[in-house]
Amino acid sequence: MTTLAVFRREWIGRRNVFLLGLAMGFIQLIAIRFDPDGGSVHDKAAFMAMGTGTLFAWVVAALFGATMVGRDLEERRFSFLLNQPLQTGEIFAGKVAAGISLAVLSAILLCLPPVLLGGLWRQLPLKEVSRIVGLWLAGGTVLLLLFHAVSIQVRSRSSWLVLDLATWAGFAWGARLLSRRLIGGGAFEEMLQLWLVLLVVVTLGLAVAGYLQVAEGRADLHRSHRWVSVTLATSLGLALLIGWVQATWVLGHRPAAPRTLTASPRIR
Amino acid sequence: MTSHQAFPAVDCRNLSVRYGRIQALDQASFTVEPGQVYALLGRNGSGKTSLVRCLLGHQKPFAGGVDLLGQDVWSRRTELMRRVGVVAEEPDAPPAMTPRQLLRFCAGLHSRWDVAGTDARLTRFRVPLDVPFGKLSRGQKAQLALTLALGPGPELLVLDDPTLGLDPVARREVYDELLRELADRGTTIFITTHDLAGIEGIADRVGILHGGRLLLDGSLEELKARHRRVSWAPFRALRPEELAPYAPLRVREGGLGGEAVVSQGDPTRLLDGDRPDLQVQALSLEELFVALVGAESEVAS
Repeated sequence: MTTLAVFRREWIGRRNVFLLGLAMGFIQLIAIRFDPDGGSVHDKAAFMAMGTGTLFAWVVAALFGATMVGRDLEERRFSFLLNQPLQTGEIFAGKVAAGISLAVLSAILLCLPPVLLGGLWRQLPLKEVSRIVGLWLAGGTVLLLLFHAVSIQVRSRSSWLVLDLATWAGFAWGARLLSRRLIGGGAFEEMLQLWLVLLVVVTLGLAVAGYLQVAEGRADLHRSHRWVSVTLATSLGLALLIGWVQATWVLGHRPAAPRTLTASPRIR
Repeated sequence: MTSHQAFPAVDCRNLSVRYGRIQALDQASFTVEPGQVYALLGRNGSGKTSLVRCLLGHQKPFAGGVDLLGQDVWSRRTELMRRVGVVAEEPDAPPAMTPRQLLRFCAGLHSRWDVAGTDARLTRFRVPLDVPFGKLSRGQKAQLALTLALGPGPELLVLDDPTLGLDPVARREVYDELLRELADRGTTIFITTHDLAGIEGIADRVGILHGGRLLLDGSLEELKARHRRVSWAPFRALRPEELAPYAPLRVREGGLGGEAVVSQGDPTRLLDGDRPDLQVQALSLEELFVALVGAESEVAS
């Protein structure tokens, strides 16, 4: 219930995003209708709605993540929530849920004018729609958490930024190394799996870092930064370790070379 | 409330805060008993903000700790905020929310909420309910913040410079509201302020913070009884050895005579000698504060 209160507070503060989404949807519709190049309105509506919808959802999620706590901390407004009987977990969950829902719903509003007025709704493939909304949700979540962590790191302006940069550089180098090992071993599909595993572990790490920033850092930007940095360094290291175990396991279980295979006539 | 009266309302133990190599707060210790009004005074940069942040569980101290109403504020912040009302130094409510929305938000978080009292306060303060918080005047923001803090009927009220930037009328209204709250419910009040004249009639105890150290902590009456001003006519300054037994904090000599703020003993004894020009006077809180933390006091001491 209290999480819902935080959620509502965030929505009230940023309700203009919905209007912006809707306005952009109408602009798109006009652009499709009056396109001098002609072509199928249906195809253009589908392409623009989904393309700009995805971009809009992700940009909103990223901007929300960059400001949801960091800006409050910088402007000394975060104390308003800390002065209420709210658990830090409720504050973080309420903000994250508000940000993701705001991003996805405003992107849906953006798509509505082209979809409804562009005639796309008649042949709307439900499976495709749910896949796109799933993409907005997943991508939005990752971006929101990532930008939250980065915004805390940047806003604190402390020397811990050096550790952050070293962590991300080390992670990129390790992930590249693992990918090359798998490609070298001919395991292209497994490399994609590796990237998925890394993404999941890093996202979980970002979520934990975000929660700890609120729970342990509270209104102290430098302490927040330390918690985010240490948690991220740990989770990125863990992700690489899991990736390394996976790569080693995959490469150690390749099928044996068909050297011993011999052909002989069947004896009757 | 009775079950917690065995504990001080605020128990601040050896509180230290560091920012890198800067020591913002150095082993500050004091207690505030239930029902007291404690005023923490200090110049800008004296460590007041760091102390208040630690006091509310917003910041983990470098060393030491704070108990509010008998519970550690860092680990029990959520439970404590049901019993503690806070008015922040800077108006910190979301600017897009209207007072009506803020009231609904805060009331929904507390199991008890004094609807009638809140309505009466907002009527007294003439705060418009449907104007976004960001567009209210500074005075209205402070009055709304005080209304929200008093809504759940807190046992302890923490006010961080609530009259900062307010005009005299709005300032008076805030103090009147505090006095009403004190008279009605005997709420413990911890207040930091620069408005020394305003707080003088309300505070029971005073703490003076300077350079991160708590220079002084005691009852206002006791402090005023201990500190006096001794003044003399031109060219008839008291000799240092004459003033020494009274521990002078600040000695000033000018064309119209001189004066010293003394901090111990009974300076009226000086009047016994052949010095009709000497005068011993009580100090206002502001004069006491200036004598203690003013730049000249450091030179004198």
